[in-house]
Amino acid sequence: MSVYLLQTINGIGIGMLYFLLAVGLSIVFGLLRFVNFAHGAFYLLGAYLCFQAMQWGLDFWLALVLVPLCVGALGWLAEKLLLRRVYAKAHEFHILVTVGLALVVQETVVVLWGPLGNNVPTPELLQGVVMWGAFIYPKYRLFVIGFTALLAVLLWWVLEGTRLGSAVRAGSESTETVSLLGIDVFRVFSLVFALGAATAALAGVLAAPIRGAEPFMGIEALGVAFVVVVVGGLGSFGGALVGGLLIGIVQSLMSTIWPQGASLMVYVAMAAVLLLRPHGLLGRKG
Amino acid sequence: MPKKFSFLLALAVTLGLPLLLHSGSLASEVLIYALAAMGCNLLLGYTGLLSFGQGIFFGLGSYTIAILLTRLQCPMPLALLAAVTAGSLGAAMVGWVAIRQRGTYFVMLTLAFAQMFYFVAYTASGLTGGDNGLLDVPRPALLNTPWKYYAFVAAIFLLAFAVLQRVTESIFGRTLLAIRDNEDRAAAVGYSIKRFKLLAFVISGAVTGLAGGLHAMMTGIAPLSNAEYHTSEMILVITVIGGTGNLFASVLGSAFYVLLADWLSTLWPRWLLLLGLLLIGVSISMQRGLWGLAESAWHRVFRKTPPAPAAAQGEQA
Repeated sequence: MSVYLLQTINGIGIGMLYFLLAVGLSIVFGLLRFVNFAHGAFYLLGAYLCFQAMQWGLDFWLALVLVPLCVGALGWLAEKLLLRRVYAKAHEFHILVTVGLALVVQETVVVLWGPLGNNVPTPELLQGVVMWGAFIYPKYRLFVIGFTALLAVLLWWVLEGTRLGSAVRAGSESTETVSLLGIDVFRVFSLVFALGAATAALAGVLAAPIRGAEPFMGIEALGVAFVVVVVGGLGSFGGALVGGLLIGIVQSLMSTIWPQGASLMVYVAMAAVLLLRPHGLLGRKG
Repeated sequence: MPKKFSFLLALAVTLGLPLLLHSGSLASEVLIYALAAMGCNLLLGYTGLLSFGQGIFFGLGSYTIAILLTRLQCPMPLALLAAVTAGSLGAAMVGWVAIRQRGTYFVMLTLAFAQMFYFVAYTASGLTGGDNGLLDVPRPALLNTPWKYYAFVAAIFLLAFAVLQRVTESIFGRTLLAIRDNEDRAAAVGYSIKRFKLLAFVISGAVTGLAGGLHAMMTGIAPLSNAEYHTSEMILVITVIGGTGNLFASVLGSAFYVLLADWLSTLWPRWLLLLGLLLIGVSISMQRGLWGLAESAWHRVFRKTPPAPAAAQGEQA
């Protein structure tokens, strides 16, 4: 099988994880109106909690459910205890508090688990490869593509089909109006921040068997999530999906063609998109 | 505040640091990051642009001076000038793309550019030394001790402070404030917003490039970490902690951050955890940074009316 096809499928898998990262960042931004620099830290925490769960001999599937719930709860607490106190302040303080939170999480991870990377085993059920004729592909990576696609549909339904989703979308247009309609905006804020943290952690759990867990993956993921959001267009669900896939595929293909420059090409792709479409692929102007 | 007062405070800091600190390098570091933070402050406090890409210009400055001094044996003043130019050219390029956006999209763009620059520096290892950075950046014999170098840095710092002071008090600086406070109205009055923002970017890049160049000469290396996310983060954090809208606030922020980091790092290798907690505490408890704190203390002691908050607050990112 052609190596390019293989890398494209790899890219789709990575891209779906990027989508998961970016969509959380995007909805948090859409509603709360600030960039959450702690987003990468939630992803980091997801990967490490997955690692720890495996160390304790817990099932991967249990970790896949429990870890996002735990990190989501942590996000919910962080919103209630920290972020709520800075909403009324200037924008730079919103960023400062999340930068602080990101540092605390990252360094706590180093204190607890050490500065070196750890491998996370692939769940037993998904070890090995799938073979359909000439098509040979690792089972786990196929699972990631399928599972994240399912999650994407689920998230889309949450945003488009539920009461919480309409509150989020309406709140993104005007928080005042939504609160005048009798919806407890702060409750929605907490829920959305928790949801964002949980999706980032989920991406971390899913990524852990592929790339392991190391302390600086959080910052790397934050950078990538920003690129995906910038490429896809701010606050756009479809944009996060298209942007994530594009960036994932570019990175994956380039890692065969020009390994040293693979990360660089991701940013070159971003620059190219921005020159052609300053507001991102699916972004609205203004 | 009287015009001269800020400058006198800056002068007092440059004279006071040698009395308070044992290490000339640490004192130089305070002034170098103060320069970088003033560049960031010009964007954040005076123009309302929250740039997460200041590390690009800092890195450009340090790489430029390192390449010119180690490979081309260029005279030091010329190399420093080139670092300033590189910083401002980089800022012109980043600014040209980024200022087309506002608010959060702008913040994300500058951070994405910072990451891009990091990978460019990492990939172009022939020029930048890649992971190892550039080593053995020389200093002229005249500046061979830390305290002599400090005197050199202090002179440049005071010069840059005076120039930036003039810039912020000029009509150009006033126009930037107008843009910060109400971009649409400033545009309606007939100012070319983009041109002003771009020029602010170029000046900011020049100062930050200068800081990067001085830093490379101080440490003798131009490491990849000068181009990293952390450098951008650090410059922004110093600026916000110090307070925006007043140049001296950035000096205060730098002294606070650099000395605190120096002290904390002797306590515990994972001192960044403590710093993170501090940042959370600061953002929850402070309204306007250290400078704001100092100002309210001053007014309380001398029983004057507090200043109008609008004068020191930039609303838009």
